[in-house]
Amino acid sequence: MKPLLEVKNLGLTLNGQAILRDISFSVEKGEFIGIIGPNGAGKSSLLKCLGRLEDRGSGSVSIDGRDLGGFSAREIARRIAWVHQGSFDDLPFTVREFALLSRYPWKESFAGETGEDRKILSRVFSLTGLDDLADRPLGLLSGGERQKALLAAALAQTTDILFLDEPTSYLDYRHQVETLALVERVNREEGTTIFFITHDANLSLRCARRILALKGGRLFWDGPREDFLSGDLPGKLFDTPFHYFSQTGGGIPYMVPEGLLK
Amino acid sequence: MRRLALPVLFLFSLGAVLLAPFVGMLSLTPADLWASLSGTEGRIFLELRLPRVLLGWITGATLSLCGMVFQALFRNSLASPDMLGVSTGAAFGAVLSIRYGLAFSFLGIFSGLSLSAFLGAMAATAIIYGAGSLSRERRGGSTLLLSGVAMSFLFGSLNMLIQYGAGYVDTFRMMRWSMGGISAVGFSAPLTALPALVLIYFASRLYAPELNLLVCGEEMAQSRGVPVGKLERILFFAVSLAVGLNVAICGPIGFVGLMSPHICRALVGADHRRLVPASLLFGGGFLVLCDTAARTLWAPAEIPVGVLTSCLGSIFFLWLLLTGKR
Repeated sequence: MKPLLEVKNLGLTLNGQAILRDISFSVEKGEFIGIIGPNGAGKSSLLKCLGRLEDRGSGSVSIDGRDLGGFSAREIARRIAWVHQGSFDDLPFTVREFALLSRYPWKESFAGETGEDRKILSRVFSLTGLDDLADRPLGLLSGGERQKALLAAALAQTTDILFLDEPTSYLDYRHQVETLALVERVNREEGTTIFFITHDANLSLRCARRILALKGGRLFWDGPREDFLSGDLPGKLFDTPFHYFSQTGGGIPYMVPEGLLK
Repeated sequence: MRRLALPVLFLFSLGAVLLAPFVGMLSLTPADLWASLSGTEGRIFLELRLPRVLLGWITGATLSLCGMVFQALFRNSLASPDMLGVSTGAAFGAVLSIRYGLAFSFLGIFSGLSLSAFLGAMAATAIIYGAGSLSRERRGGSTLLLSGVAMSFLFGSLNMLIQYGAGYVDTFRMMRWSMGGISAVGFSAPLTALPALVLIYFASRLYAPELNLLVCGEEMAQSRGVPVGKLERILFFAVSLAVGLNVAICGPIGFVGLMSPHICRALVGADHRRLVPASLLFGGGFLVLCDTAARTLWAPAEIPVGVLTSCLGSIFFLWLLLTGKR
């Protein structure tokens, strides 16, 4: 059987600078993948190449054995939904209007809002707890609420793959926890394959069962999270020593840079 | 309130078109018209005022829609064809054609004048578009507006150069024309202006969902399934064509394309499925009002309507900048 997503010798060079070099891996349906690495390691660039928002890469990316280069924008959007990096507080739409835009890849031109759209929207709003805020403009939400609205919109796109680029970086602790729980639920209950970028490795280790670590545009490490922590790889990845606290209940230690343990 | 906005705009636009022809140096009443439809009053109404009002409406609606499309494309609500130098580019094309008498026509619809104006508009658009994709910070920021300012200066100075080298009569014609004005005798001018409006109206109606997504940013639009590059090229072409055709007839009329979509967004919201009809109706009615003011405020003299809209528009622009309502 073909893997869901297969990356072969992916490279990206922009203005003479190598952003990504010779990256290969494959992903099965239903995996939860955390992409981590230091600043500038190429995490976002990798995701953009996988979703073909960046099409200047070399090598190949394929979904279900079919090269992504042969997909139209619409076909890709029926497979991959994004929560983009950014705060998006200047978007002039309400939560509902914005989520409805995500139905675009499933619509013919001129088609209005269908009964199915309404059903999907009400489901994602109740999942994200946004029922009461659906008619609120995005600009008037708090950072945490807005991030949920972005996630709700991505879910409304009803794809089997979800790309999350730093979905928690603007959030306080409570909203980080809630957002992660939501993403885990979607992964578990709907079998959605998740790619999750974060600069916070601990966050990634809480939810992602497989870690892809990037450093200097290369694939530094690819494997289960437990193995990632066993060999003090974080220290080598981030170039700073870590201390591991293991009483976390979940069995996955919590890592803190020794320089911050004062 | 928002539900009422579109019907109200419709009445506003219709009212402007129906009432404006009665206003002027010689006030007319429907009774006068009834009395002498073929007399002097009737001829003023039918051959001068009505065509002019229609031309004003078509022009206002065209500029308004072009501004709306540009604001979505550049994700910058201060963008419009005149702000970015596209109108000046069109004016340059047109001035070249007036000066060197490039009298040819294409398919009998597009005169040499409109074709040159279109090419000028295309050139300006291509340069701004290029500048936008060259600088990696993309088009949201100040790069765009500043390259538009550069464009205006470039084509503005070229215009002056041509005017400087032209004879007395030609210079006067170009000057008057470049101030932007609505003038029509008979229905040929409104009919020539109509294709530009039809084009940009159907383009923006057809692509309303895509415009909504473009407002959210290039990556967001692409990841929701919009073929962004292709769509941008189509819309840039449509706007350049519409602006070129219109500028060839009325000269560059500033700030309508900036103001009207803003006001409409405040009235009906940002959803282009409502914003398109709103911009059409408001832009049309608004320019008819401005033009009526331009020909009556200083009667018997006329102010070029472009002078009036630019005056209003620059104050509006400053207000937008200072209040941060972008």
